[in-house]
Amino acid sequence: MCTTKHSVRIWDLPTRVFHWLLVASFILSWLSQGDDRYLDIHVFAGYLFLALLIFRLIWGFVGSNYAKFCNFTCLQIGGYLKTLFTSQRQHFLGHNPAGSWAVFIILGLGLIVALTGLLTLGGEERHGPLAGMISFELGDSLHWWHDSIAWFMLGIIGIHILGVLGESWLHNENLIKSMFTGLKSTTTQSIDIPKHSLTTIFLISSLIVGMASYFNGYLLEANYRPFIGPELPTNPAWQAACEECHLAYHPSLLPARSWQRTFAEQAEHFEEDLYLEPDDIAELQTFAINNAAENTLTEVAWKNNRSIPPEQSPLRITEVDYWVTKHQDIASAIWQLPEVNFKGNCKACHLDAEQGTFEDSAMYLPE
Amino acid sequence: MRIKLTIVLSLILSSSLYASVVDELLTEYRATGVETFSAKAGKALWSQEFINAKTGKIRQCTTCHTADLRNEGKHIRTGKIIKPLAPITNPERLTNLKKTRKWFKRNCKWTLGRECNAQEKGDLLLFMQNFNGE
Ligand code: HEC
Ligand code: HEC
Ligand code: HEC
Repeated sequence: MCTTKHSVRIWDLPTRVFHWLLVASFILSWLSQGDDRYLDIHVFAGYLFLALLIFRLIWGFVGSNYAKFCNFTCLQIGGYLKTLFTSQRQHFLGHNPAGSWAVFIILGLGLIVALTGLLTLGGEERHGPLAGMISFELGDSLHWWHDSIAWFMLGIIGIHILGVLGESWLHNENLIKSMFTGLKSTTTQSIDIPKHSLTTIFLISSLIVGMASYFNGYLLEANYRPFIGPELPTNPAWQAACEECHLAYHPSLLPARSWQRTFAEQAEHFEEDLYLEPDDIAELQTFAINNAAENTLTEVAWKNNRSIPPEQSPLRITEVDYWVTKHQDIASAIWQLPEVNFKGNCKACHLDAEQGTFEDSAMYLPE
Repeated sequence: MRIKLTIVLSLILSSSLYASVVDELLTEYRATGVETFSAKAGKALWSQEFINAKTGKIRQCTTCHTADLRNEGKHIRTGKIIKPLAPITNPERLTNLKKTRKWFKRNCKWTLGRECNAQEKGDLLLFMQNFNGE
């Protein structure tokens, strides 16, 4: 009998598009994490990631033969591993048992990472569908889980890649190429699965529509801000008194005891005399205390307050630990630019400094 | 003739309205015994250099306001843009008694290391009020 090899389509188009888009969204979310300036991109990558996972879950039931979960070979893992390094090793046209496990584990971990991401966004940043549904504290601890599980997932993906390379080498076939072309060459008979072009068109056009509606602000608005924070209380007397010399820092940036000290020492305010009358002081101080950092009106308020030891009452925002860690990577040449001038000139880099919200992605570095 | 007279009269009227805060302050300074004020002396004080005792650095009014009062200045320490001081370009200047008093106190203390006396303040006021480029 002659055993000529022939190519058959194993992976339908939506499965392949899903796979590489998932890779792309995973890479994008790693690249955009850790720098608050790119949070909106990170969140977009997260939404894409979640949407893809949901698509894949559905496709696991209604997709073509090899994409269906019921045809996965998870349970044959024992026999597969036992014979892996012998000449009787088994060959699978669809996902082999290790690959099947990888799909399920990655889908499961991915869903957890996406969900903790949404909760972090809602708790810490007060944005997204779950905005404000959980406390800053809980948002902060879920943030830790979000990071940790993402790292764990990176490890699993590493193993998955090693597995694919190993399997390709053992069976002398290029599995990575198959995930692009959909084809595998085989001697056994196999059903040729359909292409599913329509579903693919749906996938791609959803992506384009999603991207356009998410990012259109960058094209349509100058100084576009992807996240708009809550409207914080203002006070005209505060505005007038403080704006004389610099940005009227919102009182939510420092705790009440810092503001009390500021007014107690108003005649020696960083070598300046504020010349406030007792009446003015009473009004300004009430406004400051009612909106001080302890009231956690924003993420900055909460984080600044948390990072100040209770026995300290700093007069400067720029000496608070949280502020210092957030700005330590900025080059000293940037601080010396004439348009920056001094660290407290928040407006030079934060588009929403006047509102006091200090949202992610609203900051930029002057050239 | 009639037209010329009206123009002159209205000029005098409007300038006296507009100079009322300055007038009030000058009257106040005169009450302390100063007889005449000089815009020229004001100009000299405006760009005089004072060495600050603590930092050893030079401080002048121009450190924040620039030499040409028609231009915007910039607060040397906070970077805040300061609107022009010359009433000729910024009519709001020298129209609020409390504000002008407060800033004289503040800026003299920071620049000279002491408050300005009545003579100095009057000279500076005349200089600012009449500033038109020289
Ligand atoms: C007369 C000018 C002047 C006025 C008015 C003024 N400040 Fe300031 N403020 C300064 C200067 C100068 C600094 C220090 C700049 C530097 O670091 O060199 C400063 C610094 C600060 C800082 C610290 C910024 C940092 O580094 O984190 C805070 C907070 C502050 N001011 C609050 C206020 C508040 C609140 C008011 C209104 C009640 C006010 N200031 C009004 C001149 C002023
Ligand atoms: C020279 C530009 C610059 C100045 C001036 C500046 N910042 Fe920032 N700030 C940044 C950048 C850039 C980041 C993003 C850092 C990162 O995460 O990598 C940032 C981050 C922050 C964050 C964290 C935002 C978040 O949600 O995680 C806060 C809060 C903040 N700045 C507050 C302030 C305040 C308050 C001032 C003024 C007292 C100030 N900044 C002045 C550039 C600046
Ligand atoms: C450290 C920066 C700084 C220096 C130095 C400085 N000024 Fe000012 N000055 C200011 C600021 C800020 C304002 C308020 C600007 C505003 O209202 O927009 C001001 C306002 C004034 C005003 C108020 C005008 C009005 O609106 O009525 C006068 C007068 C004045 N300055 C005079 C002086 C004189 C005279 C000197 C030198 C002795 C001087 N300044 C030096 C920062 C400075």
